[in-house]
Amino acid sequence: MTYVGKPIKRLYDDKFVTGKSTYVDDIQINSLYAGFVRSPYAHARIKSIDVSDALKVPGIVAVFTAKDLQVKEGIGIWTTYEDPKQWKFLPRRPLAEKEVKYVGDPVAIVIGTDKYNVRDAIDKVNVDYEKLPAVIKMEEALEDKVLVHEELKTNVAFDQTFNGGNVDEAFKNADRKIEVEVTNNRLIPNPMEPRGIISRYEGGFLTIWYSTQVPHTARAEFSRVLGIPASRIRVIMPDVGGAFGSKVNILPEDVAVVLSSIKLGRPVRWTATRSEEMISSEARHNTFKGEVAFKTDGTILGIRGELIVDMGAYLTYTSPIQPVIIPLMIPGPYKIQNISVRSKAVYTNTPPITMYRGASRPEATFIIERIMSNVADELGIDDVTIRERNMITNTPYVNPLGLKYDSGDYLGLLREGVKKLEYEKLKAWAKAMREKGRKVGVGMAFYLEISGFGPWEFGEVRVTETGDVIVTTGGTPHGQGGETGIAQVVADELQIDIDRIKVIWGDTEVVASGMGTYGSRTAAAAASAAKVAATKVLEKMKKFAAKMLKVDVEEVKYSSGEFEANGRKVSWNEVAEFAYKSDEPGVFEQLILPGDVTYPYGVHIAVVEVDDYGIAKVSEYKAYDDIGVVINPALAEGQVHGGATQAVGQAILEEAIINEEGQLAVTYADYLIPTAVEAPKFESYFAEKPHASQYPSGAKGVGEAALIVGPAAIVRALEDATGKRFNHTPVRPEELIE
Amino acid sequence: MYPPEFGYYKPESLADALDFLKGGSVKPLAGGQSLIPMLKFRILQPKFILDLNPLKELSYIKPEENTVKIGALTRYSEMVKSGIVRRDLPLLHEASGKVGDMQVRNMGTIGGSLSNADPSADLPAVALAYDAKIKLISTQGERVVEARDFFKGPFTTELREDEILSEVELPILKGYNHKYAKIVRRAGDYALVGMALLAKVGETIEDIRIAYTGVSDKAYRPYELEKMLLNSKPTEDLLRKFSEEVTKEVNPPSDSRGSSDYKKKVMKNLTFNVLKEVILRAS
Amino acid sequence: MLVRPGEKVKIKVKVNGIWYEREVEPRKLLVHFLRDDLGLTGTKIGCDTSTCGACTVLMNGKSVKSCTLLAVQADGAEITTIEGGDGKLHAIQEAFKDNFALQCGYCTPGMIMQSYYLLSENPSPSEEEIREGLHGNICRCTGYQNIVKAVQDASRRLRA
Repeated sequence: MTYVGKPIKRLYDDKFVTGKSTYVDDIQINSLYAGFVRSPYAHARIKSIDVSDALKVPGIVAVFTAKDLQVKEGIGIWTTYEDPKQWKFLPRRPLAEKEVKYVGDPVAIVIGTDKYNVRDAIDKVNVDYEKLPAVIKMEEALEDKVLVHEELKTNVAFDQTFNGGNVDEAFKNADRKIEVEVTNNRLIPNPMEPRGIISRYEGGFLTIWYSTQVPHTARAEFSRVLGIPASRIRVIMPDVGGAFGSKVNILPEDVAVVLSSIKLGRPVRWTATRSEEMISSEARHNTFKGEVAFKTDGTILGIRGELIVDMGAYLTYTSPIQPVIIPLMIPGPYKIQNISVRSKAVYTNTPPITMYRGASRPEATFIIERIMSNVADELGIDDVTIRERNMITNTPYVNPLGLKYDSGDYLGLLREGVKKLEYEKLKAWAKAMREKGRKVGVGMAFYLEISGFGPWEFGEVRVTETGDVIVTTGGTPHGQGGETGIAQVVADELQIDIDRIKVIWGDTEVVASGMGTYGSRTAAAAASAAKVAATKVLEKMKKFAAKMLKVDVEEVKYSSGEFEANGRKVSWNEVAEFAYKSDEPGVFEQLILPGDVTYPYGVHIAVVEVDDYGIAKVSEYKAYDDIGVVINPALAEGQVHGGATQAVGQAILEEAIINEEGQLAVTYADYLIPTAVEAPKFESYFAEKPHASQYPSGAKGVGEAALIVGPAAIVRALEDATGKRFNHTPVRPEELIE
Repeated sequence: MYPPEFGYYKPESLADALDFLKGGSVKPLAGGQSLIPMLKFRILQPKFILDLNPLKELSYIKPEENTVKIGALTRYSEMVKSGIVRRDLPLLHEASGKVGDMQVRNMGTIGGSLSNADPSADLPAVALAYDAKIKLISTQGERVVEARDFFKGPFTTELREDEILSEVELPILKGYNHKYAKIVRRAGDYALVGMALLAKVGETIEDIRIAYTGVSDKAYRPYELEKMLLNSKPTEDLLRKFSEEVTKEVNPPSDSRGSSDYKKKVMKNLTFNVLKEVILRAS
Repeated sequence: MLVRPGEKVKIKVKVNGIWYEREVEPRKLLVHFLRDDLGLTGTKIGCDTSTCGACTVLMNGKSVKSCTLLAVQADGAEITTIEGGDGKLHAIQEAFKDNFALQCGYCTPGMIMQSYYLLSENPSPSEEEIREGLHGNICRCTGYQNIVKAVQDASRRLRA
């Protein structure tokens, strides 16, 4: 039996359905609890901190402030993908020292023997603040009148113009031009599991259990920040209850917990409350203002404009990605050769921004798809036609900003997808409904996205004495099912039963190396590293079989667990047992597989209805995607369902409202994450003739696709339903009500 | 996430509970679906919690000749399952099924909802529409307050600190049509705007009672404006006019659910749609 | 029974068929009692506003959010958590696995407990009734369609 391409059941669901899962807060270890005193002001000077009352609360062991927790270096940015030389920023120290710069900025860490007492003690820490002027809106921050960081002398953290082709010529040659302003408002990833960390320091060795997507990267960063060699740090990723990119971020709170455990010589743990989770990772929040030059037949000649991206008060590990990648992906799958985007990232006195599922590509896709639809409307052309006119028809293709798109038939997929998803039929039906008075709309959007990020991934395959197989991966699946996909790929490569395969990940002491699961790269990079390792292991097994059969290795044939030569056979198990008794014990291969980005693409359609109260409901969501080789269609489809539901959230429900005081003005109760009632019915298909990536697994990645394109499709459907124009997310009921 | 320290009293009887309540700084606990979240956010910091849940005598649904008496500790889920409530108090039945979610309905109580008086809660509007009689008891005796006098402001009622709401009496309105309509942005939320309607419709509108939630600092019933509809022949124009007029009486708070103007539009459209559906169809 | 501020109270709670006697502060939430005092970490904490349902357990047969209950309220009560099986997978648990109704698994215990309660009240729910019955349980990963399928599947298996 082969496994790749089939909806194989997930390997480890038993523990999740029986409550035997172990997320970081479930780990039963004798430890102290930590909580944080946080700033109630967006910007203030810390005049003094009096911890004496807090220390009197029973069970309180310590209250530390900045002076008690010194680091070698502050937390930096993700240098694998971001260039610090291009950014003006302050590395993040574990606790605020002289000033607090956003509501929620941690000022002191309280540590005690009981969670409830810690919470009581937090109320008893007296911080004397002197309120300072704060700048909340990113447009105002650009003026540099109120500075978030005096030391930087400006609020502009990054200012670069991305140029391709000749945009001035394009505008000269245009028949028409329009102005556009496209905004993605602030969101919160809000995985179901609020993040947490446990730190234990013993005899110079640090063990950290961490709700993270990147245990090895975290280890490296902790090492750098604390000045402790990485060899003395072990980071263990337990079960992680979702992340969506937010748990690549390394928080100052995490560092404060680790430092506290070192100072106290006792394990210390912190699990964020939901309110804390909501300020520890916010996302999106950017506006593109520009002009589009086009011909009357809808050919887009050029795009120019300014992108402003809010960073919040501090750069985080992952926020620098957005201002760089968004401009690069704006041209999308279209032949637009002339583009100039000035990208400015700006600080405000608000909670820091991190990446969130899609990390730049949802913004870029929303911008270009809104441009396509706006131009289509100007010209009275339909959405499919305008995209056909502009679609790239030859791959590989180098976009005007230097990105090299790999394999793909974008135009073909658009046509197939539109047909398969019955777009025209839906549009006609919606029109008929509107004639009857119902505000029903259908919207489509196309995406080309960049995924499968390198630079490498780790894979190890080991055959045990009994012939079972252990796969150790640098990927870090946390719900997507990547471990199952990896097992399928290895099972096919070794032609053994998938039940014989165990996949392990997430512990830096066990996994030699790893980048992690983010950026839709597990099926591409991690599965490929495992596949190549498996191929090499099979070669080794063949060599041992040759010895057993007393032939040259070239004469050995292998098929489904049997090695054969000259009519004699030995089984997989026999070879494994023999290998371990031989003079070269250990059948394993371990490697780092270099890799680079790949470009999946697809067309998605949303059907919405708006009622008399401006309440929109996405009733159906359909997807047609080319994600390269589909390792497990059920798991891939699951990513489409989940991403699309987040798209419903982004398009009509979710908004991290920051009020004038810089406070996050919504709790989890009014930050509206879709329930089963708001979620649509899904139909998800994968291209009949997919285009494989260059990764050995052939996969391109699907984890982020639906959130990348979903908001554009849903917003287009809202326009269809109401006849209004919306170039932002979320679209609120007051904008939809008659 | 962590309530502040408080004491706890488990009463042996209703009299015992009322006696304890006299002590001051005591918060009675019924279903806890509003109280416990407020304790977790430390919005409330009482000295004692008085647990009413052991008082099974407060949990009942008693049909009488023309009314039904419901004990304060009756859960939403019990009212939804009750054949008596479905038959005799259909508006209450419909509204009870729309509160929160199933888990909330298994715990939350009618007494808790009315005495908490959240301006966006469902049952206060229902009580107003029914002209419910609300019984308050203390060591000094009992008194009955009309629903229209009970709700005073946001989370503020006629209930004194030493009183417990023990019972709600609602009339059996034979021959009435009803509707409880609740507009939410997301399932399970408090009402953005909610509307409770009871109407007796013949040739004319013989009786009409309309109450709203989410549009003011408390549940709102436009008693005066109802007279516009009373004894009138129901026409679309009349209903439309009423819908426009009724929004002029209120000033809904702007919040993350929506702006004041938006909520007024919702109120207008909802009123018109519900009146059309219930009254025009009945006539 | 009076417990003064700062004092603890002894409670007896039957959880998954076993009686436990413990001393707790009145303010201790039931979810913390189950997870920290009894070590039953199957029930999860997902929010602080009683919105997400990850903490759903059965109390005297009814589904409740254990983060919105004081442990003292459970004195004398029977609680069933996700760990309350007999060692074999219940039809609902099988159905969740077979229908890919979980991804990160964090909402899953609460979702299964609520599905169990829903099916006990309504053994043959329509799709709409399932979505209505589960909207007190938030999932950020699956988009719910597979969860609905799992509940429908479980319903069929249980009626077979």
